[in-house]
Amino acid sequence: MISRRLEEWITERYDTEALRRVLRAKKVPSHPLEASYFTGGLTLFLFIFQFITGMALSLYYVPHSEYAYKSISDIMTKLNMGWFFRSLHHWGAQLAIASLFIHFFTNMLLKSYRKPRELVWVTGFIMIAVLYFFGLSGYFLIWDQRAFTAIRVATGGAGSLPFIGGAIKVFLRGGIDVTQETLTRFYAFHVSILPMISLLIVGLHVLLVQVHGMSVPLSLKDREGKPQPFFPNVFYKDLIIWLSATGILVTLAVIVPVELGVKADPMAPAPENIKPEWYFLFLFQTLKFFPGQIGLFNGETIAITIISLAILFAIFIPFLDRRSSAGKPSPAYTYIGVFYLLYFVVMTIIGFFY
Amino acid sequence: MKLDHSLLTRRTFLNTLFGGWLIAVLSGSVYAFLKFIFPTVGKEPDFVVLNKADFFDIPANTVKIFPWGGKPGFFLKKDDGTQIALKGVCTHMECNISYVPGVKKFYCACHKGWFDDNGRNIEGPPPKPLEMFDIVVAGQKLVIAKKGVQVDLPKA
Amino acid sequence: MRIFCIISSIIFLTAASCYAGPAGGGPDLSPYDRHIMYQALVLFWIGVIGLITIIIIKLREVKRIQEMGLHKDESDAPSLD
Repeated sequence: MISRRLEEWITERYDTEALRRVLRAKKVPSHPLEASYFTGGLTLFLFIFQFITGMALSLYYVPHSEYAYKSISDIMTKLNMGWFFRSLHHWGAQLAIASLFIHFFTNMLLKSYRKPRELVWVTGFIMIAVLYFFGLSGYFLIWDQRAFTAIRVATGGAGSLPFIGGAIKVFLRGGIDVTQETLTRFYAFHVSILPMISLLIVGLHVLLVQVHGMSVPLSLKDREGKPQPFFPNVFYKDLIIWLSATGILVTLAVIVPVELGVKADPMAPAPENIKPEWYFLFLFQTLKFFPGQIGLFNGETIAITIISLAILFAIFIPFLDRRSSAGKPSPAYTYIGVFYLLYFVVMTIIGFFY
Repeated sequence: MKLDHSLLTRRTFLNTLFGGWLIAVLSGSVYAFLKFIFPTVGKEPDFVVLNKADFFDIPANTVKIFPWGGKPGFFLKKDDGTQIALKGVCTHMECNISYVPGVKKFYCACHKGWFDDNGRNIEGPPPKPLEMFDIVVAGQKLVIAKKGVQVDLPKA
Repeated sequence: MRIFCIISSIIFLTAASCYAGPAGGGPDLSPYDRHIMYQALVLFWIGVIGLITIIIIKLREVKRIQEMGLHKDESDAPSLD
């Protein structure tokens, strides 16, 4: 058989026994909440799926304000199954970010960030920022009226950060206003800079997970069953989850194909009811709740400061939650985790309907 | 006839079923993906329609270029008044050629190839003559067509 | 078994070829185009659900073998090389 000869060819040249031993030894804990272990792999799978569809689309997209919209329109109408791959890329992004939040909140509530896994949490948090920026930059590349206005607002919002806001705004925009320079910059981020960064950070994140193994929730330590081998048991379960996700993704891409708005006109007024992508809604809803001026400070600045502090708190949770790191139950941080989750969900829903 | 033992082991059956199904699903998906990333190749036209006046009145021993798809077509009026049309693309590595009236030859700068004023390759690396076109006059219109193509112009 | 692979490949290649052709993903689609897309989607789902089913069967088989404890014997067995 060909596979036997291929195996012999490799083993004659490379010592695969060490690798095989590592793979065979990889075990996954078994307990009632072991389903939480699949959230990370699913996010990674959807992320890689985005890379593949993204690379295919980048063969045809033109990142110039004159031609961007038309190149997408051509992809949708003139290429074999172009509409399908664009739809896959759009829906893949939504599912990847949704999966990311499931993964994030699962680990926050199960406190897998506790010692010794602090760095896994921090690298994961960096990945949230990277994925957000992926979503923002990718959305802008469409260069339709909605995307244009959304980026004006988003970069303008970033400009409201105290002290560093102005510099960030100019850096993101490539100038004072949203122009062709912004498109060039966002394209560079989306197809080159962010992929490189994510390769490094995701690589580090996954490596750390292999080194530490999977975390078992404190409350389930005594309800652990026999550890199951990763190959093939858990790997097959991973495959089933990934296949189901692909099925859902393809169905969404076909049944709810993504539309193309009107081409961006920098002079036109903002369209009615403009809303950012759903994963930004909770941020914008928070901004809307703060009135124009509170005392000495601009309401927006206060809102952004509060949001930034909340995000910083979340980044440093592994270092702040002393009880979990000591292996003790930490109900206060469970409540904090639930609060974050509820805030995110409720604000997103409100932002969607108002 | 009932067999005492199965002809296949469970392992072989399951692995083949899995492998076969996997290959089928993957090949369908990869096929769709390849269809997307391989673009539909542009075709050259079978013929182009030009204005007779623009081309017939050029001075002798000069060339007028007309677009042939994305490539240059050459309309040459020789000293003795005869006219030929050919594709201005070298048969060696597809560089664009030029006409040198001084020696009445076509020249390709890429590898210094030469063609005579009938398109035949006479010097340098080009392996075959230039592609010649048919010239058809239809009223005020000049139709340059690929050799052997039947041109049916709509009554304009 | 080889015949099975060939037949399944043919089915899925025909399914994939149904995807080909111009489509705007919008009001440009004729009912014919839409039907082809839905048919392709159905065939895709048959493929995915079939694959998931086979994986579940393999998973149960692996669990059955592991519970028998056969793999432990294999690591203790003296190698014949």
